[in-house]
Amino acid sequence: MMQHDAMTFRNVSAGYKQRKVLNNVSFTVKEGEFVSLIGPNGCGKSTLLKTAAALLKPLSGKVELFGQDVQHIKPALRASLLGVVPQKIESPMAFTVDQIVMNGRISSMGRWGTPSPVDHDLVERSMIYTDVLDLRERFFTELSGGEQQRVALAMVLAQDPKIIMLDESISHLDINHRQEVLQILMNLNREKQMTILLVSHDLTLSAGISDRFLLMEAGTLVKAGTPVEVLEPEVLSRVYNCDLHVQQDPYTGYLQVTGAIDSLRHRQKLNRSVHVIAGGGSGIELYRRLLIEGYEVTTGVLNRLDSDAEAARALNIPAVLEQPFSPVGSEVIAQALKMVGDADAVILSQVPFGSGNLVNLTLAEAALNSGKPVFLADGITTRDYTEGKAAYEHAMQLAAQGARFWRTIPELLAMMMQIVYYGKTEN
Amino acid sequence: MDMKRLKRSVVCADNSFTTQSHSRAALRMLLFFAALMVLLALSMLLGPSGIGIPDLESPSGSAILSLRFSRLLMGMMTGAALSASGVVFQALLRNPLAEPYVLGVSGGAGLGATLTILAGTGVVASFSLPVVAFLSAVVTLMVVYGIASQGTSGQPSVYSLILSGVIVSSICSSIIMFLVSTASVEGMHNVIWWMLGSLQPVSAGQQLLSAALLFGALAGIWLLSPRLNALALGREMAHYQGLHADLVIVIGLLFATLLAAIAVSLSGMIGFVGLIVPHVMRAIFGPDHRKLVPLAALGGGVFLVVCDAVARTLLAPVEIPVGVVTALAGGPFFLIILQRRMKQAWIA
Repeated sequence: MMQHDAMTFRNVSAGYKQRKVLNNVSFTVKEGEFVSLIGPNGCGKSTLLKTAAALLKPLSGKVELFGQDVQHIKPALRASLLGVVPQKIESPMAFTVDQIVMNGRISSMGRWGTPSPVDHDLVERSMIYTDVLDLRERFFTELSGGEQQRVALAMVLAQDPKIIMLDESISHLDINHRQEVLQILMNLNREKQMTILLVSHDLTLSAGISDRFLLMEAGTLVKAGTPVEVLEPEVLSRVYNCDLHVQQDPYTGYLQVTGAIDSLRHRQKLNRSVHVIAGGGSGIELYRRLLIEGYEVTTGVLNRLDSDAEAARALNIPAVLEQPFSPVGSEVIAQALKMVGDADAVILSQVPFGSGNLVNLTLAEAALNSGKPVFLADGITTRDYTEGKAAYEHAMQLAAQGARFWRTIPELLAMMMQIVYYGKTEN
Repeated sequence: MDMKRLKRSVVCADNSFTTQSHSRAALRMLLFFAALMVLLALSMLLGPSGIGIPDLESPSGSAILSLRFSRLLMGMMTGAALSASGVVFQALLRNPLAEPYVLGVSGGAGLGATLTILAGTGVVASFSLPVVAFLSAVVTLMVVYGIASQGTSGQPSVYSLILSGVIVSSICSSIIMFLVSTASVEGMHNVIWWMLGSLQPVSAGQQLLSAALLFGALAGIWLLSPRLNALALGREMAHYQGLHADLVIVIGLLFATLLAAIAVSLSGMIGFVGLIVPHVMRAIFGPDHRKLVPLAALGGGVFLVVCDAVARTLLAPVEIPVGVVTALAGGPFFLIILQRRMKQAWIA
């Protein structure tokens, strides 16, 4: 079957009096497609829907529904082509569900608003479809948010449109009814060739059901294509301005979009402590990531004026400090050794070594001697400013005694998880 | 969807169910009409000396009866106009407290009417009264709505609309007071009596003109009534469902304003009829405007006739202005709705 163009935006710019929201947007949705419209809040998704439904007149460009300029389609005909389920509908009066759904037929009914048998059939069928027939005698105002949303969908289905646009209408639904409504939409899409344009914030869910994605950013269409094409971590992370990852489920092939927050949410205290040997600012990021991961962190010996000492104070990390410009005293070393004794592991950051802090390496040695894992930042030789590369020599000895090298923080954290948390020592 | 639930739903959709609720609604309607008839009859028979049929043989008796009958017609027209106007304002502004008096529309119409009354008497004045009242009411509504929607992108809130209505209304009545205080004694008497709200019959010509306008406006609103249902869900939703939403709103507001102007030019400033009656009718018969518009018009007419009967007889031979009676009944009602509105959604 030949696919017609259901909805076409031709260089559409649209917006309100002072503010242009959509900027030169062009795309086509084919008949029978299931398209998800995604993008951060305020990027113009709702404005796009309003323009598509002729509620807003484009400032320039043209919107076509099945080849006709939407501004010139008679309202009743437009309602039979395009239905919109808004974010929320509010009824100020106590209409019953029946009466609300019947509103979907308003433009096809006669002057006196008397429904024909066809109208009754369509209303009843869409109520069955959306599972609200039980509620037909109830007042719309006393339903739950999810029930109201299904009634709204029933009302729009009763319009019997060829295209349905949903403006985040499913985000209020509980998981059961969200699945159910999506199932309904998919059935309508597959069985009746209904074209669906879904504004969605649940990228994972949309990826599973959509043929195509439209990604918007600040009023422009950034990308259009299949879920795989559009859901690229770099693009998404830039548009949503946060760290996003995309994984493909090995069994179903579904794409899964996760953010940093997802991994944070599952964090708990690990009940493991690590001592970090840092300095010169090399510890700041390390402290932060270790704390986020759930480790207890101690640090030292640090110069009192060192930026790492500042960071430790700010992050409430116990630290052993020494006066600036003086060699590390034995008393201070003893304190640091006690910290190492309490720790489960020792990490050496990418700290530059000079004669003043060389003694810190004895802390790592002490840890190794008591059987604790030690992680050395790779490339010590480039940071070694001691005479005769004493730090490098010492580090090589430590490595020979079982210390491990790390390059990046994620790699370090992975090793730590294996060795310090799960206690696996094999390598 | 599991089969069990589906089956139950279908049983629920069985015709017997709907028939039952239909017959209940029909019974309610029958009782309502019976009550209206009884109330109208009582109002005709109620006089200063209690209920009784005036002696039709004597000239005074038949005069009394015909006077009561013309007051009844005045009351029916005014009440129907106010009540239907309230229904439309409430639906289109999606505001349970909207009615011509509260919105300042009556005040605006009153100002126009006062100017006409003071300007002159006679045939021209009595015919131009409804027209001038209508025009000044339209201007007032635009001013009130404009003030209320300042700074908001969508519809003004319940409270800002009421607030600006009250303010504009009091400005209008201040101007009326000013005009009255500088007017001749006769003009002052005319305006004050008219302003207090009374169903004293106006000239036959004005009655006829008002009746014609009233029926026209009521018919127009009844034609709009299916669309009022859709507009109750908001302008946007009505647009999506294929209505010329903005056109319906403008036409509806014009008809509602015309109705208010007719009422004001007939009987002066009578408050709260447009508030109480639509709410009571909605509570009894539901919010479907196809039924609500005619029922509210009928109910509003009878309500005002009954209020007038009370006004005439309560302190007989002194007659209380009927506006006082409706305001005494309506004020507390207004407060109840305001309070309910704060607590829960707008039901009734």
